[in-house]
Amino acid sequence: MKILGPLRELDQILRGEKTKPESLRRASLEISLGQILGMIVFLGLLYGLCMSVFSMTQDYPGHEWQIIASMVKVPALFLLTLLITFPSLYVFNALVGSRFEVVELLRLLIASLGVALSMLGSLGLIVAFFSVSTTSYSFMILLNVFVFSVSGFLGLKFLLQTLHRMSLLTEQEETESSIKETTSPVHSPTEGGFVEIEIVEESSKASSNMASNFSPKEAGPLAQLYGPVLSGEVKTVFRCWIVVFGLVGAQMSWILRPFIGDPNSEFAWFRPRGSSFFEAVYHTFLNLFS
Amino acid sequence: MPAYLQQADRLLRPRELSLPTLQTLPLLVLILGGWYGTVMGSYGGFGGERLWQVLYSATKVPLLLLATFSISLPSFFVLNTLAGLRADFGRVFSALLATQAGMTLILAALSPYTALWYLSFESYTQAILFNGVMFGIASFAAQFILLKFYNPLIRENKLHRLMLVLWLVLYAFVGIQMGWVLRPFIGSPDEAIEFFRENSWGNAYERVFQIFLRSIGQ
Repeated sequence: MKILGPLRELDQILRGEKTKPESLRRASLEISLGQILGMIVFLGLLYGLCMSVFSMTQDYPGHEWQIIASMVKVPALFLLTLLITFPSLYVFNALVGSRFEVVELLRLLIASLGVALSMLGSLGLIVAFFSVSTTSYSFMILLNVFVFSVSGFLGLKFLLQTLHRMSLLTEQEETESSIKETTSPVHSPTEGGFVEIEIVEESSKASSNMASNFSPKEAGPLAQLYGPVLSGEVKTVFRCWIVVFGLVGAQMSWILRPFIGDPNSEFAWFRPRGSSFFEAVYHTFLNLFS
Repeated sequence: MPAYLQQADRLLRPRELSLPTLQTLPLLVLILGGWYGTVMGSYGGFGGERLWQVLYSATKVPLLLLATFSISLPSFFVLNTLAGLRADFGRVFSALLATQAGMTLILAALSPYTALWYLSFESYTQAILFNGVMFGIASFAAQFILLKFYNPLIRENKLHRLMLVLWLVLYAFVGIQMGWVLRPFIGSPDEAIEFFRENSWGNAYERVFQIFLRSIGQ
């Protein structure tokens, strides 16, 4: 069952097994980059196929090519957006003193994209159904924009929550190590004994706090865990990056257009430069009503 | 009474939470939904060509429910997994499927009224409207079945409540379009009998927007 390997790997991310505190403690995120990347491409191809169903029902010159174009463009959209935004994220992270190495950071982002693509892929069936049954090009565009937004939102939510969990763990590790430091130089029996008792209490308190923060059986990968947040700057960098990722992703989708294929014009791999994603969505929205 | 119809009865008993088996539920949808479809399609009688409409409608009602259910399920599965509710998904699945069966059961129970209506009034528009009301009642009542099976889940984890709302939104979004695509269910007496209306492809939501705009005079 070698084919099922990547699927299982992705499933473990979706179930939150990879982001449980026990798994996070050992390394950053124990995922196989290649396998998740494979799944991302596969799910992208699948969604692209669902997306291109609309062009199959239309009859404009060269519409057969739209199927291949859509299939290639969906995974490309996500991976190119990551490619553009990744270097700056890494640099700013390092600047504010985060502990992420390049590979660790990449793992985190690929896992988030995996979550986003899973949602996208599973919504593909609905998009395909609407593609078959509707003739309105504007409606299809807006539906797709909505589906992409929902998927992207869930993926980025996963990123933020995982980051939050990691910062909780760092906090705990730091208190533990500071406790160790204070316990080690114990010489005087009276004082040392006192300190030790207090520390044992404190550390057991800390671990019980952790236990109440994480209830791994119930909590999914998106569940909010409460607790102190470490390294506010790192989180700020990630928050800014998420906005940038969204903007770049939207504009990237505009550059890579057409994804669906305008039934009133000929097939083209790319359309001429000009305008922007947001302008286009606004006009499409108005079109739907006219 | 056949065993599977006895099983259908279990859907209605409020105290007994044992579900019919998973093999029985789709069968119930097919039989009971098919029955309501038969009644629904009998608007023009059974003679000659109209018999086809009866057969089409009998196919379409189960198809409407099962297709909407299967199309919405994958995304709901991923959503549940992300919310950390994968362990419960077996129960969620049977609860949702039971609701489909329950809805057809209610429809089947309402079918005599539809027949009575057809015998009393001739207007096609009114027939559509009456069936709309019947579907409305059935959908509303089916929510009680859904809640009955979902309540234990919600008690265990509050997130199930949110999931239930998401499911209803997803199901309604797909179901409305599915109902639009599968027209005609009753079959206008002035038009030819066909499985799908020719040129019926279109988008339910877009049409509603247009009708809305026309009504406010734009």
